[in-house]
Amino acid sequence: MKQLHRQEKEQFTKLFKQEAIDRFEDRLKVVEVFLNFEHHVTVGELTSMIGDSGVSLSPDFVQDTLKLLCCFGFAQKNRFEDGHIRYEHHHLGHHHDHMICMRCNKIVEFENEELENLQLTIAESHGFHLLQHKMELYGICAACMKDHVQIMPLTMTRQGERVVIKDFTCGSEARMRLLSMGLRVGDEVQIITNIGKGQMAIAAGFKRYVIGRGLAQKIRVIPVHKKNVSVGKMDEIHAAE
Amino acid sequence: MNSRKLIIALAGNPNSGKTTIFNNLTGAHQKVGNWSGVTVEKKEGVITRHGYELTIIDLPGTYSLTPFSIEEIVARNFVLDAHPDVVIDIIDASNLERSLYLATQLREIDCKVLFALNMADMAKSRGVKIHADKLSELLDVPVVFTVGNKNEGMDALLKKAIELAENTRQTPEGRKVHYSPDIETAVADLQNFIHQVLPEKLPYSERWTAVKLIEDDKIVHERILSLSGDHQQALEAQIRLARQYITDRFDDDPEIIMTDERYGFIAGIVKEAVTASARQRVDISRNIDLVLTNRFIGFPIFILFIWGMFQLTFSVGKYPQEWITACVHALSAALEMHLPDSLFKDLLLNGVIAGVGSVIVFLPNILILFFCISLFEDTGYMARTAFLMDKIMHAIGLHGKSFIPMLMGFGCNVPAIMATRTLESEKDRILTILITPFMSCSAKLPIYIVLAGTFFATRAGTVIFIIYLTGVVLSIITGRLLRTTLLKGLDAPFVMELPPYRIPMAKSVMIHMWERSKMFLKKMGNIILIGSIVIWTLSAFPRHIEYSRNYEAEIQNLQSRGALQMPGDAAARRTLEKETAAAMDDIKGQMQAEHVEKSYMGQLGKLLAPVFAPIGIDWRGSVALLSGFVAKEIVVSTLGILYVARGDNKTEALRTALASSDMTPLSAVSMLVFVLLYLPCLATIATIRRELRSWKWTAFSIGYSTSLAWVMAFLVYHGGRFLGF
Ligand SMILES: Nc1nc2c(ncn2[C@@H]2O[C@H](COP(=O)(O)OP(=O)(O)OP(=O)(O)O)[C@@H](O)[C@H]2O)c(=O)[nH]1
Ligand SMILES: [Mg+2]
Ligand SMILES: [Zn+2]
Ligand SMILES: [Zn+2]
Repeated sequence: MKQLHRQEKEQFTKLFKQEAIDRFEDRLKVVEVFLNFEHHVTVGELTSMIGDSGVSLSPDFVQDTLKLLCCFGFAQKNRFEDGHIRYEHHHLGHHHDHMICMRCNKIVEFENEELENLQLTIAESHGFHLLQHKMELYGICAACMKDHVQIMPLTMTRQGERVVIKDFTCGSEARMRLLSMGLRVGDEVQIITNIGKGQMAIAAGFKRYVIGRGLAQKIRVIPVHKKNVSVGKMDEIHAAE
Repeated sequence: MNSRKLIIALAGNPNSGKTTIFNNLTGAHQKVGNWSGVTVEKKEGVITRHGYELTIIDLPGTYSLTPFSIEEIVARNFVLDAHPDVVIDIIDASNLERSLYLATQLREIDCKVLFALNMADMAKSRGVKIHADKLSELLDVPVVFTVGNKNEGMDALLKKAIELAENTRQTPEGRKVHYSPDIETAVADLQNFIHQVLPEKLPYSERWTAVKLIEDDKIVHERILSLSGDHQQALEAQIRLARQYITDRFDDDPEIIMTDERYGFIAGIVKEAVTASARQRVDISRNIDLVLTNRFIGFPIFILFIWGMFQLTFSVGKYPQEWITACVHALSAALEMHLPDSLFKDLLLNGVIAGVGSVIVFLPNILILFFCISLFEDTGYMARTAFLMDKIMHAIGLHGKSFIPMLMGFGCNVPAIMATRTLESEKDRILTILITPFMSCSAKLPIYIVLAGTFFATRAGTVIFIIYLTGVVLSIITGRLLRTTLLKGLDAPFVMELPPYRIPMAKSVMIHMWERSKMFLKKMGNIILIGSIVIWTLSAFPRHIEYSRNYEAEIQNLQSRGALQMPGDAAARRTLEKETAAAMDDIKGQMQAEHVEKSYMGQLGKLLAPVFAPIGIDWRGSVALLSGFVAKEIVVSTLGILYVARGDNKTEALRTALASSDMTPLSAVSMLVFVLLYLPCLATIATIRRELRSWKWTAFSIGYSTSLAWVMAFLVYHGGRFLGF
């Protein structure tokens, strides 16, 4: 935890020094202990905690420091129904940056120190006092990407390969033709011949077809074994949700 | 008893065995073949059974009631508009799910349908068990199992059909496919609208019309609009609204959604009515295809097959050909002996026997050729050749499918040109029709065999193969030319089914051969016979002509000299006698030749000579080629009459006559090339005209092929001469 909050501490150091605040070391001690709390805390609780750590500070000093923190925007004062006033610090340092998959909604957390520092530097250079940031990167996760790449036109398949039809991107007339001939999305087909140009021959069940290159280009398929993997993953994620 | 008349139509997917069942029912011999699109026009057969006069109609195959090509339109229109009493849907039971797609569409229209689960044997061998009762109950349609090629289940089929026709029960409501609520709403709305705007006038049921309009069925759309008079615009708007309604909700075209839902309905039925054995079965056809359509060896194997076909035609055909030749010889020798000299004898020997006889000997070769083609057709290899040729056909912007008519053209151009109806694009069809005549038909085979056999004895088979190949190559070049000039067209989406491989049935092959023989002999009996007589008459008249020399005197002279100088020595006498006889033959031959040359035929030939001289063909060849316009076989008849007439020996075979004539191998090749390419026969021209519905294209076809023939022959002849042949 301490580690996580190191950056905030550095920030305080800088701020406090700038503001020429007295008893710098003691205040830093307060901040340190405060940040260790992940919950709301009263001045009394915090004072005793600081006492536990071997430094004895007056509750007034602690309160003064907390007020200072609130003033800077690092903390927040809440009045609870029981009448107590409790402080909580904003989860400033305790964060991950996120990558969110737009296909499966999976969230990947990451941290990068360089990036964090860079943000501080940028804010500073603008004279901006950085309190908090939220970074979300949107895109396709690795698993989905793998599937995505695997969706390919029928023309990209190799002889003997087994694939599953995922989609038809041709016009509705051609789609109707394929449907009425019994070739549908979800069918597993095996490539009999694909010369790399011209028509290709495929087999689906006990039916065999010859398909022109232009049309084959518009039939999107994924390899058979990979399909099962991706379905498995999807299930995992849904289960996780 | 007044027998009641019923019309029973056989509909169904391509290659599901409709024609097989039609033949079984009616005893006809319509063409059956193992690929999609064998039948391209509807065929009728009338039988009386169980006190009914039944008109059975065989329809071309179709995958759905939304047609894509001409022959599918025929099937659809008949089912929808001719109101047959019963429609029997011939279902390929081994492909049930797909077949049920058309079946559900047929169920939706208001007609009496009956399902024949054909290929029950194949379904069984694939471990598929279909519970007919369950299926019948679920679909509310009578179901009968049949095995077309073993003639099983035909009686049951007819009985059920008659029963159904006599049943007055209305088409039950329960039969309709129920779509999802949103679609049903759209259908109901449109149906209501139609009901208000177009009462009474509808050719089809209201619901079905509404469904088809939403599915954007072009034909129904046009028909209904033309009926809607003032409401046309309102109706169109309404249709657009309904389609939009569905598109908005399902995010796809209504026809696709509805097709999906139909398949959903089918899947439900299949689940209940079919049990498939768990054992995974290999598709043997798929494995054969992995070899025969293999990217590396597929094409060489195909060439080998074709080459083998021509080798077989020529080499095996040679033996029975010799037997028939011997028979013809014997016959003409007998006639020669027993008939008194007369004009009639001349006609019989030099006209009929020389003419018809010289062609009839090729019956075995033609039969072997047809046998090979029918092997291609019945095994299912035909459809594969289309695939294998695709690369090459693509050079002219055609799909490989166009090669099926072309390959059929090796047999006969007439059915081949009709087979182009299965091509979906009109331009592809025209182009294919124009290039198919370059695939030389079996009627040209006798000419090739005579010429190649005479001048390239041992290599005749190969020469003929090369000639055929030249035809293919030139047809491709022509196609390319036309494609880039007159018939520009885009590549339409293409998909074609490959049939399963089947073992050809000996019986059907035999019937096919028998039919072919009958056709051939019939042709000999009329066209060729008449042609021969005409040719003979033209070459025998006028009877009296002015000879350039006094042959009679020379003959007399020779005879008397022989008698005068007869030496005593027996050996010397024999030599002299021989010499005299040879000289006599020579003079008689020359006299005969001059007679023919000065006959009407000769005069005609001389007229043509300037045209044909540059390609190394003499006047006899010219006349023969001209006569080939009627039917290609007559070319050989004419050659027979003209060349054989030269020699005194009337029974001399055409081949020997040709060999000793002044025709050279080079001019023979020139003639082969010309025959290969020049104008198609009368029947073919009539077919081209009918299929293209244009005199312009027909004239083009005639003009183009003939000028190409001349130019090619010219190049070959002069090229050959230049190279010193
Ligand atoms: N195994 C098996 N083969 C059959 C049966 N009925 C027909 N065939 C074969 O199926 C192939 C197609 O038969 P056709 O009668 O030409 O089919 P079609 O439905 O008329 O075909 P199109 O005219 O092209 O639509 C032929 O090779 C027949 O021998 C059957 O019951 N079992
Ligand atoms: Mg048929
Ligand atoms: Zn961050
Ligand atoms: Zn994802």
